[in-house]
Amino acid sequence: MSRIKPLGVLRVALLWAAVITVGLPLIWVILGSFKSPAELNNPNQLLFVPTLGSWRAVLSSDLIFSAARSLIVGLVTVSISVIVGTMGAYAIARFRAGGSLTRFGILAAQVLPPAVLVFPFLTVAYALRLNGTLVPVIFAHLSFVLPVVTWFLIGFFAAVPKEIEEQARVDGFGRFAAFRLVVLPQVLPGIGAAAIFGFTLSWNDMFYGLILAPSNSTILPVAIAGFNTFRGVELGPMCAAILIAVIPVLIASFFIQRKLVQGISGGAVKF
Amino acid sequence: MKYEHKLLTPLLAVFAVAVGFPLLYSFWLGFTDYKLVNSGATKFVGLQNYISVLSDGAYWSSFATTTAYVLLSVSLELIIGLSIALALQKQKWVKDLTRSVLLAPMFITPIAVGLMFRFFLNDQLGAIPNFLKQLGLSYDFFGPGRALISLAFIDVWQWTPFMILLLLAGLESIPKQPLEAARVDGANSWYSFRRITLPMLSPVLVVAILLRGLDALKVFEYVFATTRGGPGTETKTIQFLAYQTGITYFRLSEASAMAFILLVVVLAIIVILFRNLEKASTR
Repeated sequence: MSRIKPLGVLRVALLWAAVITVGLPLIWVILGSFKSPAELNNPNQLLFVPTLGSWRAVLSSDLIFSAARSLIVGLVTVSISVIVGTMGAYAIARFRAGGSLTRFGILAAQVLPPAVLVFPFLTVAYALRLNGTLVPVIFAHLSFVLPVVTWFLIGFFAAVPKEIEEQARVDGFGRFAAFRLVVLPQVLPGIGAAAIFGFTLSWNDMFYGLILAPSNSTILPVAIAGFNTFRGVELGPMCAAILIAVIPVLIASFFIQRKLVQGISGGAVKF
Repeated sequence: MKYEHKLLTPLLAVFAVAVGFPLLYSFWLGFTDYKLVNSGATKFVGLQNYISVLSDGAYWSSFATTTAYVLLSVSLELIIGLSIALALQKQKWVKDLTRSVLLAPMFITPIAVGLMFRFFLNDQLGAIPNFLKQLGLSYDFFGPGRALISLAFIDVWQWTPFMILLLLAGLESIPKQPLEAARVDGANSWYSFRRITLPMLSPVLVVAILLRGLDALKVFEYVFATTRGGPGTETKTIQFLAYQTGITYFRLSEASAMAFILLVVVLAIIVILFRNLEKASTR
């Protein structure tokens, strides 16, 4: 056993280094959100009297409205994706409906460069006088949230044994009742994970929001990008704004980590 | 209509509106002289946009910039991610907490990560340059010849967790028996890693590399938050160039042509990825 010890030390050192690398910038932002403008100009000052000035400034600014808009966009996008995606994913996983081409399309849509799709959304929004509203943003977010959610669910449905459903049919359930009452409860945790992950993707996206809803209806990441200045007065609120965007998704992520791998690979890699 | 087709139809309908239509429309835009603030009728101009994009040095230079960025960040993510995944696999103490902390960056909105590092690495206000100054060193993270490397490091900070996530799952799904057998036969750990673990992990490795590569190709937020393409045009990635062309200079049709050329590259990668995934799921 003593032979492998140096490797063990290296292993622990690597993990500590990784944790510190991840943590340091985040701790810096947390500290920054409690510093006064003068203290922010001295980056190595670790001891200071915390002030809530930055938080107060951010919480009474328009950023809260941007956060609310992001919430609306995320919820609408995810609701549509989950309803439509659940039925579709079941059909694809259970009956191979749509064949290989549909599966390929769903995978491809997840990784399309946003620059390909964004200009049509913009011109159509202009033509329909919907520019500056959240409608084009929701459609744009559907373009990547729907494929991701569906891809996740295909994997989860494929993992449900056919026999359960067949037994339910033998017991006298109708086709849709068997799906709703027997199969669906099995994948419910998966649907939850897919919904949370889809929401995170929508919440985190800036590119579409920047182009489709720039001025009066900014979503949260675009509003955060607006802090891109280096006056000390703005840095504190920027830190607080970053934390407002980050904390909800970090909390949500704790609940879905186990399901994430299976989802990302469409069920091809399992825990 | 068959039952399964009824279930599939709503999905295909939304898909057609949110992906299919914009894709075709964008393809069409690439062959016109459409401008957002143009009052005149839009004309079909054939391959003109593609010719002007492809004969423009700026496009090729941003293509090269993006390629360098992708290669640097994804290979670092692979090496670091695999090492950490191997380390995590053997860890027992505070296992779940360590994993959660190490996976955290991938859930943060990229613009926040970009701004955080712009602040953290800033010459005057940043913690790292300040620390280096106290050691008597001076390093401008966003200076000429360095900015792209710093951007790649930001990518590594945020997306190595994605590698860890996939590779750890892959490692944990490898059966234990071959490794046990190798140890009984007296193989050292490096030998069994190279001859057993790595080959058995290769399908997951391919998927992880391709997914990360595709995502890194789309880099935009870090550039937007930190350098805006500078110094000079050193960090002007394709997605940023398309944004500038379409939004700052109002040349939507040219930007669409740019995006479509990128799409061809992306599609080629997806075909390889899809083959791998199909093979894995039918195995």
